[in-house]
Amino acid sequence: MSQLTKILAISIMVFIPISSYSHGDEKHSLIGESKADKLDQCVEPTEVMQKEHFEFLYHQRENTVEKGIRTKNHSLANCIDCHVSHDEKGKAIPVNAEGQFCQTCHVKTAVNIDCFSCHATVPRDNSSKIKSTGHNQNIHIESTANNLVEYYKETNYEK
Amino acid sequence: MRNSAELTRREFIVKSVTAISAVYIIPDLIPKAVAAKPLDLEVSAKTKWAINVDVNKCVDGCTACVEACVDENGLYGFDRPETDSQWIRKLQIKDIKTDKVTTLPMMCQHCENPPCVDVCPTGASFRREDGIVMVNQHTCIGCRYCMMACPFKARSFVHENLTEQVTSAPRGKGCVESCNLCVNRIDHGSETTACEEACMKEGHHAITFGDLADPKSRVSLAMQAKPSRRLREDLKLKQRVTYSGF
Repeated sequence: MSQLTKILAISIMVFIPISSYSHGDEKHSLIGESKADKLDQCVEPTEVMQKEHFEFLYHQRENTVEKGIRTKNHSLANCIDCHVSHDEKGKAIPVNAEGQFCQTCHVKTAVNIDCFSCHATVPRDNSSKIKSTGHNQNIHIESTANNLVEYYKETNYEK
Repeated sequence: MRNSAELTRREFIVKSVTAISAVYIIPDLIPKAVAAKPLDLEVSAKTKWAINVDVNKCVDGCTACVEACVDENGLYGFDRPETDSQWIRKLQIKDIKTDKVTTLPMMCQHCENPPCVDVCPTGASFRREDGIVMVNQHTCIGCRYCMMACPFKARSFVHENLTEQVTSAPRGKGCVESCNLCVNRIDHGSETTACEEACMKEGHHAITFGDLADPKSRVSLAMQAKPSRRLREDLKLKQRVTYSGF
């Protein structure tokens, strides 16, 4: 009897780590490559994200819409920025398309996602980034300054 | 070709001074933007966003503000003017006595006593602390009471499935929507809305946006310079959008 329990205990100890979820090498989506593929962990530990990501999103959406809090960590726009896959031409594939990050799991668990009837499914493109005249000017000056520094380096150091 | 041996003493000094001034001095000379609200801070009643429209400067036939709004918020319609969303539109008004025709942009007036908030059954139509009246589309059930309550016809209803939303303005079928003073831009520290920016780029300067709580903001200065009034003042809605010049 004691031998049987010992075998059972050992087999549990051996098999549980194997069956437990690993995140490192696993690819998120079937087609294309995403930024998230190269990272070890999301904004929270993987186990937490798998079970509670919608809680974070609900919490963040109340804060954002009603209180104007726009932190990046739990924002849907940031999820998409990181988890969207790009095809060979570098074009973003909608994150809710078949075989993509959101859809794979949600099809498997038969949970419908409502996010994307309203929210964008590809990252914000550069043209629609926050623009304000003053802000742009600052960026422009900074870039000219950087160019000057580059030029300074080039002219004064041998390659 | 570039080689330190070919660089004369004078060139070296000139270039060093240029580079150093570019890095340390020039950025200090540029007026810095007013410190924006940190992203993790709640909006408060200390800021009072407002718009002033100078009707005399608004040009007949110009629709720059409308186009800018469409681009900013991805309000691409289906070529059905009756039902397509419109957050800002141009109106033409005619004085009966003098036949004088004026045009003005009309959008959500961001009332301090908003009737759309009073009638909303779910609390989706709400007024943010800083005075922006907007729709929480997560809780909007699309009953359209607010559209009926609004005296300015400022709200639109989305009738059809949408696909081309922009990240900064999520919107979808079955919800009411209206001008939210480019809330995403403002929260990220922009000092101007898309319509004001477009109007300034056109050189008309009819729309002025800013913080009423700050006496030196653009909108405060504009309102000090000219008498302004609200539309339908008899309703006592205390709109944050005011009109000057008529």
